[in-house]
Amino acid sequence: MDLQTLILNLSRYWADCGCIVQQPYDTEVGAGTMHPETFLRVLGPEPYRVAYVQPSRRPADARYGENPFRLGRHLQMQVILKPSPDDIQGLYLKSLEAMGIDPSVHDIRFEEDNWESPTLGAWGVGWQVLLDGMEITQFTYFQQAGGIDLAPMTAELTYGLERISMFLQRKDSIYDIEWGGGVSYGQIRLMDEREASTYGFEVADVDMLRRHFEDWEGEAVRCLEHDPPLVLPALEATLKTSHLFNLLDARGAVSVTERVGLIGRVRANALRAAKAYAAQREAMGWPLGNALETGTQEKGVV
Amino acid sequence: MASFLLEIRTEEIPANALPGARRQLQDLFAKHLGDAGFTGFSTSVVSTPLRLIVTLSDLPSKQADRVEEMTGPPVRIAVAEDGSPTKAGLGFAAKACLPFEQLGRLETEKGQYLAATVNHVGRATSDILAEITPTILSSLRFPKMMRWGLGSYLFVRPVHGIVALLDDDVVPFEAFGITSGRTTVGHRVHSPKPIDIDHADTYHETMAEHSVMIDPAQRRQTLESAAKHLAETVDCRVHEDPRLVGEHVELVEWPGLIVGAFDRDFLDLPPEVVVSTLRHHQKCLILEDRNGALQPHFLAVIDRKDDPEELIRLGNEWVIRARLADARFFFSEDRKKPLEDSIAGLERVEWHRVLGSLEAKAERLGILAVTLSGQVGLDLSTELVCLAARLVKTDLTTHMVGEFPELQGVMGGHYLRLEGADEALWTASRDHYRPVGFDGDCPSSELGRVLGVADRMDTIAGLFAVGEKPTGSRDPLGLRRAAQAVVKIIVDSGWALDLEVLVGEAVSGVADQSTENIHAVKDSVTRFMADRLRRWLTDVTGVSGDTADAVMASGWVDPCETVARAQALETVRSNDSFRGLALAFKRVRNITDGKPEGDIDPTLFEHAEEKELHDAVLEFHAALERLIPEHRVTEAFESMIPIADTLDRFFIEVLVMAENENVRANRIALLKLLGRDFLTLADLSILQIDGGE
Repeated sequence: MDLQTLILNLSRYWADCGCIVQQPYDTEVGAGTMHPETFLRVLGPEPYRVAYVQPSRRPADARYGENPFRLGRHLQMQVILKPSPDDIQGLYLKSLEAMGIDPSVHDIRFEEDNWESPTLGAWGVGWQVLLDGMEITQFTYFQQAGGIDLAPMTAELTYGLERISMFLQRKDSIYDIEWGGGVSYGQIRLMDEREASTYGFEVADVDMLRRHFEDWEGEAVRCLEHDPPLVLPALEATLKTSHLFNLLDARGAVSVTERVGLIGRVRANALRAAKAYAAQREAMGWPLGNALETGTQEKGVV
Repeated sequence: MASFLLEIRTEEIPANALPGARRQLQDLFAKHLGDAGFTGFSTSVVSTPLRLIVTLSDLPSKQADRVEEMTGPPVRIAVAEDGSPTKAGLGFAAKACLPFEQLGRLETEKGQYLAATVNHVGRATSDILAEITPTILSSLRFPKMMRWGLGSYLFVRPVHGIVALLDDDVVPFEAFGITSGRTTVGHRVHSPKPIDIDHADTYHETMAEHSVMIDPAQRRQTLESAAKHLAETVDCRVHEDPRLVGEHVELVEWPGLIVGAFDRDFLDLPPEVVVSTLRHHQKCLILEDRNGALQPHFLAVIDRKDDPEELIRLGNEWVIRARLADARFFFSEDRKKPLEDSIAGLERVEWHRVLGSLEAKAERLGILAVTLSGQVGLDLSTELVCLAARLVKTDLTTHMVGEFPELQGVMGGHYLRLEGADEALWTASRDHYRPVGFDGDCPSSELGRVLGVADRMDTIAGLFAVGEKPTGSRDPLGLRRAAQAVVKIIVDSGWALDLEVLVGEAVSGVADQSTENIHAVKDSVTRFMADRLRRWLTDVTGVSGDTADAVMASGWVDPCETVARAQALETVRSNDSFRGLALAFKRVRNITDGKPEGDIDPTLFEHAEEKELHDAVLEFHAALERLIPEHRVTEAFESMIPIADTLDRFFIEVLVMAENENVRANRIALLKLLGRDFLTLADLSILQIDGGE
């Protein structure tokens, strides 16, 4: 199964399970969790189901396209189910069938792997899902996000799409996997990885990045202090600072002592944006409903 | 007699949470049933990753009936003169659930009392189980708990089903929003359909028929024998790994096993890298030949009986090939330049939020190691030690250690060796994180030992200085183990050193970063080290706790010397005359504590026993001066023994608190000298001796 069929099948499957099929966020993020469709939607009592692919940028993980397993930008398929349905594991296992994997002839395991993002003030418990020894999905029950205790609880599934493709296609290099229509991943993305590595490790203008960090941080604060607070613009500005930090870090420009401070500044605004969102939705009277009152989707829809 | 079966079906419970859950269930059921008056039943708790299972056997069908004799208020208060009940009388009747007329009378010394014989009819066992089980389930605690769905319940993982049967009847209750019943499911792959359990006693068999091996002990046995057998098919033997097997036992409902292979070329990598890839990352069992050499095969544990299309083997082989190729990529990247060229990178790696970068750490480590090396009289050049301090930390900047943190030190050792570095240097890198606590070998070179001790002392001092010392059972950074390794290396090396001085040096090294009062830090690190040395004395040297305390009360800062004294005292204290000595010493302490020292004037002696004791004390004093510098500690302790009798006679014949002030002071001075000499070896008053105060 080529990469695009994988994406299409998973999207179709989760759409059939009642998910909104969203699009990638158009601001650079390090993980699908930072997409407001996850980070903000998990807050408050409104039920929600969404699936989307999120290109995730991690400049420090880039390897000039020389390492067959590592990318500076990879694709995550993110699925959010709130509240987490009773048969979530069953739903997940059926999604493997959508990927052409017949669970009855494989060894599929859920091994403890808890998740934490200090920057987002978020943590959850869950597993990494192993298929014949290969990690294919991160499965997390969110317990807290933006420093806020959650209720109802959200289940988050994150599929590492390139890894899964490599495994399904039995390729020894990411760049050899077939994207679609006979075109390989390398033909589309190799040059991009090389350039992004050179840029991130050697060329990026540190002074400019620092300036922009300050600017976007200030902008986030301005949005938060606006009356009423501008939630999404504040979060977007915060995501910019997070990405700028990642670039500075990859460039080796962040000293040890500075590091904690910068992360703390990103976190502070992320937490404020989360609180502002929760307040905004409450003021709107929870337009998508209140799962705690109705028990919506507790039993799953499929 | 009846049997109770409880099965709580959940999503995958983490392996490390299961043993604790089993223990808690065992204890809680025993306690609650005991409180309800049940005896003679037996409890068995087993589990799989998806189920917690409690079996109780030999339960009666109901609680035993119980007759209670109740005594009420005195008759004069409970019964009015006309024989009618008072308020108090009626109250007691109500309490005893009897009509007033049926209450009896009890004659006592204090008069007549109302009395009642009450028959408590035992409740049905099923009712009691239905009551205690939900209580027990809600009191289970796990290392990390979670909520799911609407967030109403807290448990280790979401709960999906409860089977509760007393023989063939459902014990009805509700927990986690689920009503108990008799329906469960079998193995997720082999038997996923619902199954009804007919009877508590048939559960075990029924589950086995549906491919669930509920008993961890049985899974372990199955796994171990399958591993042995499969290894033989590829002419290998299994590298013993009880911990990993133990983990797998908690990870599967049916322990299957497959053997796979990887390309022999990967054996060119350092063996630790291959082992780390297979064992730490893929949880595979390692296969080796008869000589213990790594072989290009592995065993992977699977949670099913078979690999019907060989896809599982192919998948595991693919993953392992990918991981090993990844490791090879990092290994060759790292080898492109000598390790020394990466020293500059230490500055960019944070070692601790407050204590700074690895460069700062390595700098402090170098300085402390130089001091230590001088303290114990080693012939290591300052230049070498300071360079080595940086080099042994530099592998933390390599790709390989970035990917395989557990290979810290080991990789530096390989890189340095391959670069042709001096053996003392590359083994120092390889070894300086060893031992772990008291376990494992000490570094082979002096350089490795010095760096190992200095590194840990800096870590301990640093973390205490920023308020991150261990508390209670919480020691997330493993400082106790670090301190134990320090003790082990010092004792193992036979170094004569003053640990308090070393602590002082280590603490001054982090004074600039300290967030706490530096004197308080030094004191608490010193106490912390003393505590770990005591642990060494009791756990490794094997002396009893009071022996350790007695010798440490006389000084402990030189660990080797302290160990020698502890061993000597432990040997000597079993001597019969020693008991009297310890008691007499307590007496000496009681008399002389708080009194000033003074000169002894033999002309003031009035009794032969005084002179006799004086001679003995002088002889003992001379013996100490001769034996201690030669480290003949056992003999020193033995030379105490003859004093016991002398001292006894002294106390019988001589009144220390004499009327004459000078005579009294003279006697106290004599005892004081004796006490002081004894105290150079141990404070015998701490010893727990029968008949002591």
